Amino acid sequence: MTQAKKTLVPGLSEAEAIDRAKRGDAESFEALYALHKRRVYSLCLRMTGNTAEAEDLTQEAFLQLYRKIATFRGESAFSTWLHRLAVNVVLMHLRKKGLPEVSLEESLEPQEDGPKKDIGARDNVLAGSIDRVNLERAIESLPPGYRIIFVLHDVEGYEHNEIAEIMGCSIGNSKSQLHKARMKLRDLLKLSRTEKVART
Amino acid sequence: MGKGVSGGGNMNCGEFQESLAYIIDTGGNAKQKEHLKECSVCSDLVSDLRYIADQAKLLVPMLEPSSRVWDGIKTSLEQEGVVKNRTARGRLLGILPASRWGPGTRGSGIWMLPIAALVLVAVGLLAYRSTLSSRQTASAELSSSNSALNFTNVDSDAMSDNQDQQLLAAIAARAPEMRQSYEQDLRNVNAYISDERKSVDTDPDDEDARQALNEAYREKAMLYEIAVQHSQP
Repeated sequence: MTQAKKTLVPGLSEAEAIDRAKRGDAESFEALYALHKRRVYSLCLRMTGNTAEAEDLTQEAFLQLYRKIATFRGESAFSTWLHRLAVNVVLMHLRKKGLPEVSLEESLEPQEDGPKKDIGARDNVLAGSIDRVNLERAIESLPPGYRIIFVLHDVEGYEHNEIAEIMGCSIGNSKSQLHKARMKLRDLLKLSRTEKVART
Repeated sequence: MGKGVSGGGNMNCGEFQESLAYIIDTGGNAKQKEHLKECSVCSDLVSDLRYIADQAKLLVPMLEPSSRVWDGIKTSLEQEGVVKNRTARGRLLGILPASRWGPGTRGSGIWMLPIAALVLVAVGLLAYRSTLSSRQTASAELSSSNSALNFTNVDSDAMSDNQDQQLLAAIAARAPEMRQSYEQDLRNVNAYISDERKSVDTDPDDEDARQALNEAYREKAMLYEIAVQHSQP
């Protein structure tokens, strides 16, 4: 759906709301918030794994949106532009916290999920056994460095070259971290499934 | 099989897994594909990893932030002075966020914002005119226009009159038949600005008056833009 066709409230398209918000119309800004809050909040929550932090970052992202919306020129979709702004807000926050998760050094959890790990005997494949809640929980349990790359690539659809640019790492590093994240998720999901079976 | 030491073709599981990060997305080369066909452990592993990636793409943003988020946004904007707490219609104080202009632009000085846009247009006009006159004259004019950007101690009416006269002179030089029309338009828009400024001066908290004053200045800026275009060769 193009942004011009999105309708926020009767008689007000997203494009019109953007134009009005650029001119300082607070009601239009509120309409834009209502349209995009879920996506921005979900992104923040998935990247941080913390509800309170995600809410603070959602707030910060929309405040920055308000301050910067006059610079939106429509060269990309508004949602894409806002999404990138929100990603930057989260990464900035994580860098300020000084957490190691934004350092994509290969030494992070070295070889834990490395390619030469003994993957064990064949057991049941995951196909058909993952539901949304389980996957969300498993993502939340990922080490922060893995989680960010996984969310950006597999959930949000960023390419490795974009992630490398955003995170300031190499494309190979992004691919490597993504692979480790998926391997870790596989372990977490299998563990979750085993625990579920044990309970029943 | 499956202990990382065996597999199909000429490749064992360890060798296969070394390249796994790249195989998932690309499908792998012939040797890797052959191993995948013959090794159920690696085949299941690849299947799982692809399944996880596919499922992740289906995650939709269903989570909703609490009302505290929007409350926080509103409060922050009010504290910054961008949105007034008491305004039922949610009008803002200026064209651009207050943070760009600093606290000194709030209150009765808010009408200076559109003047800034206006002067930028005027600077453009002066820069254009400078190409018609000597380098010395142009330098003097630009210097004059730059000093006009400092609004702190400038009489805006006098500045505006001066710019109007320069604009009309430029139009008269390039398109004399249009001068009278522009003169009338400038007179009208100046009267509009004057009326609205009186309203704002009478009640600086009158949001409607401020909005109208902004509109008036915007109209004048537009008139300048059109005039500059008409006065170009």
